[in-house]
Amino acid sequence: MSSEGDLLHTVTADDISDGRKRLGKAMVWGSATLVAVLALWQMAFETGRVAAGFDTWRPILYAYILWAIALCAAQVIVNGEKGKRTLFVLPAALFVISLVVFPLLFALYISFTDWNLASPNGPQPNGWDNMREMWNDGFYWNALKNMMYYVLAVSVEYVIAFGLALLLNAQIRARKFFRVVFLLPLMLSPVAVSWMIGKSMLEVRFGPISRVIREFGGEPSFFGTPEIARFMIMAMDAWTFIPFMMIMLLAGLQALPKEILEASRVDGASGWQSFKEVIFPLMLPVSVTAVVIRIIFKLKLADIIINVTSGGPGGATDSVTSFIFREYRDRSNVGYGTLLAMVYLVLIVIFITLLLKLVSRWMERPA
Amino acid sequence: MKVELYNYIRAAQKMSRRQMLKGTAALGAAAMIPKAAMADGHSNVRAEILKIPGVGAGSPTDSDWQKVGEMCLGATRENVAEGEFEGVELTFMGLNNQNLHNFLFRGFLKPWEAYTGAKINWIDLAQADYNARLQQSIATGTVDFDIIEMGAPFEGDVLGKGLASEMPDWVKDQIDMDDYVDYLKAPVGTWDGKTYRVSIDGDCHSFAYRKDYFGEGGIGGAEVPTTWQEINQVSKDLIGKEDPLTGLPAHGYLDPLKGWGGFGFYFLENRASAYAKHPNSPAWLFEPETMKPMVNNPAWVQAIQDVMDLIEAGAYPTDQINADPGTTAFQQFLAGTGSMLMWWGDVGSSARTSDTSVVGDVVGFGVNPASDRVYNAQTSAWEETRNEAPNMAYIGWGVYVMATVEGDEKKKKAAWSAAAHLGGKDLSLWASAYPSGFQPYRNSHFQFEEWEEAGYDRAYVEDYLGSNADSYNHPNAAIEPRIPGIFQYYSVAEDELAKGYAGQYGSAQETADAIAAAWEKITDQIGRDSQIAVYKASLGM
Repeated sequence: MSSEGDLLHTVTADDISDGRKRLGKAMVWGSATLVAVLALWQMAFETGRVAAGFDTWRPILYAYILWAIALCAAQVIVNGEKGKRTLFVLPAALFVISLVVFPLLFALYISFTDWNLASPNGPQPNGWDNMREMWNDGFYWNALKNMMYYVLAVSVEYVIAFGLALLLNAQIRARKFFRVVFLLPLMLSPVAVSWMIGKSMLEVRFGPISRVIREFGGEPSFFGTPEIARFMIMAMDAWTFIPFMMIMLLAGLQALPKEILEASRVDGASGWQSFKEVIFPLMLPVSVTAVVIRIIFKLKLADIIINVTSGGPGGATDSVTSFIFREYRDRSNVGYGTLLAMVYLVLIVIFITLLLKLVSRWMERPA
Repeated sequence: MKVELYNYIRAAQKMSRRQMLKGTAALGAAAMIPKAAMADGHSNVRAEILKIPGVGAGSPTDSDWQKVGEMCLGATRENVAEGEFEGVELTFMGLNNQNLHNFLFRGFLKPWEAYTGAKINWIDLAQADYNARLQQSIATGTVDFDIIEMGAPFEGDVLGKGLASEMPDWVKDQIDMDDYVDYLKAPVGTWDGKTYRVSIDGDCHSFAYRKDYFGEGGIGGAEVPTTWQEINQVSKDLIGKEDPLTGLPAHGYLDPLKGWGGFGFYFLENRASAYAKHPNSPAWLFEPETMKPMVNNPAWVQAIQDVMDLIEAGAYPTDQINADPGTTAFQQFLAGTGSMLMWWGDVGSSARTSDTSVVGDVVGFGVNPASDRVYNAQTSAWEETRNEAPNMAYIGWGVYVMATVEGDEKKKKAAWSAAAHLGGKDLSLWASAYPSGFQPYRNSHFQFEEWEEAGYDRAYVEDYLGSNADSYNHPNAAIEPRIPGIFQYYSVAEDELAKGYAGQYGSAQETADAIAAAWEKITDQIGRDSQIAVYKASLGM
């Protein structure tokens, strides 16, 4: 038994012979070679370089599964007890790789092809054409511009959510009742919100809200002009998701150390002063988390727009996701749609990274 | 028949006990007729199946569909021996809308399966999933069905790529294709001169108007407008007037200004067909030799300009920019807003059957309005002659057999026999008279005495179906181009139109040019040469 290393977690002695180690390695490399050879062969077959090949890529998938099994088995064969520990995680990791990394790579390939499902030629690589088209695509840039407005609206949502969280944190009557009521919108599907509010309550002719406005002599129009339409989409989305921020902030408020608040009161701080100097700074880490998660949600905004305005009037409410949805579903434009999605993914990663860097200084709890 | 229409008639006619007993007695008698007698007594079959379950005797159920399927087996018996398809398995892909379509087919085909010995497996799809499923099957080469229920607009995608099986001559005889209304005859259902489609449905847009707006003393004028020029004038004249039914502001024609997943483009087509569909050519969307879009020629620009004029004049209801075709039909026209509309048969049926409709007693129907002048694309000049061109939007559903059956004669004959059974002349009469999701599409469906004998209100059936019949058989009907990706063209056009209607382009011409540019891109992406070939084939050129 080894007398070095992690002795605490070692329960059996592993005396692994060189032959066993070689077998394990041979299993892994052998099966990996099989996958590589089959994949290369099939690729050559599909591109017409060799005459014989499989009808589908399924045999390569089976080879990959064989490799995965060999890799898992080899952990135990080569590393013994230590390998068994790896085995707790490895299948899950391989599963994730299969379902995330492979599709991502495939998507990357697709995004540089001109694949339109209606085209008889299937996907053909077209270099940077899709990128150039995106560069000149007014609809995409318009959608990105709209996303800026939508993301900026998160700041207003944050203020409202913070206010509601403070209210629910205070000693008010029927506090539990209000907590449940305020959470209800979050429990509704955005699609239901689109129909119940966007297409029913705000319906120009029958909608109760329209009727009230008409009663007061107004002429209701909720989606007629770009600004109002965008605002209405923001409002519906906010109504659904403010409770989410609120509940996070409320949890943060309840976790605040009571002594500090009491100390500030003893020191004679007014309500506003204790909020400004104590509560708000202490809540910053929670706030940043809530805002960042909310922004990530916001960047995916599509369902309400698709249902209520289809991006109109004239693209004023279009989001990147709803535009990509149209490219995909209505136009079967898989190559270009995938490129748009990939670019959007990169933009989101860059944006969120910068955002986190920017706010990281506030994430530190004040001493 | 559409479900709503059937429900209305059922409610409106308030079946008496005597009528009900009559129907039941007939049904009982039919059940006792020996099978051979049924096959021989072909002339009786039509009358007998219309009594199942009897108008007003509740919605038909699976056992009714099976009975109808059994009684309409005569044609199959003539071409197929009993047990001939023993051991054959077929897969049928279709829709499950409103629990109709595939649900009916199952019932209709059950006696066929029992007689022939074949077995059918079913793939049921929701309408929203249908297009994506079909396109993916085609694009990835995974056609896993032998028979498909499909709309004619997809013929370019399927027939154009050689994925379907050509119809054998004995099927043509069995289903009596000469009985089809004119526009469903070739080139629809054919490709390169070969026939592929068993029609089971018809589709077109027809004109619906409010009778209380027109006539002596009517706020819309003495006569119902029959041209787009008149419609625009009436729409402008109605500004500031009061709706006679609701007391709210009166409105004229209702254009949907918002997209509808591509389907919204049909509604601009309604206007454009009168200007752009010259009787001298079947082409009105693309130039057949080059696939150059015609959508930015003066005819189409005029159609877009007409809509822009009404926006400019403030003739539409508030928020019209956010109204899609679903809104204009169901939330506006049927609810009493606006006086004129173009739509599919659903409006005709819902007008009198839907609970939310208030216009049931004041609605009238007609064909697609005409134009005082027509653009001749061949001479690039307007001609001052009246032109009428009903828009056959979507062309209706059909049953197609896939090429997967080729190479196995038994399987091929089985698939075609199943398709022919579903598109049979008698069975289709039943489907057009009872809730099925399908509209009448044969000349024999418009023999109103058959409907009357079956217990229908003749005046209503004649009024509503008459406008459809006139459109179907119109010599200058505007037929949809059945080219791959047709809905891609429509969808991108909707996006550009939305910008144009919102004032983001300088003019109707600029809007039309933007659509044309986007269409050119799609054509290049799908492949111009192949598109030209399939477009010409689809037009029968």
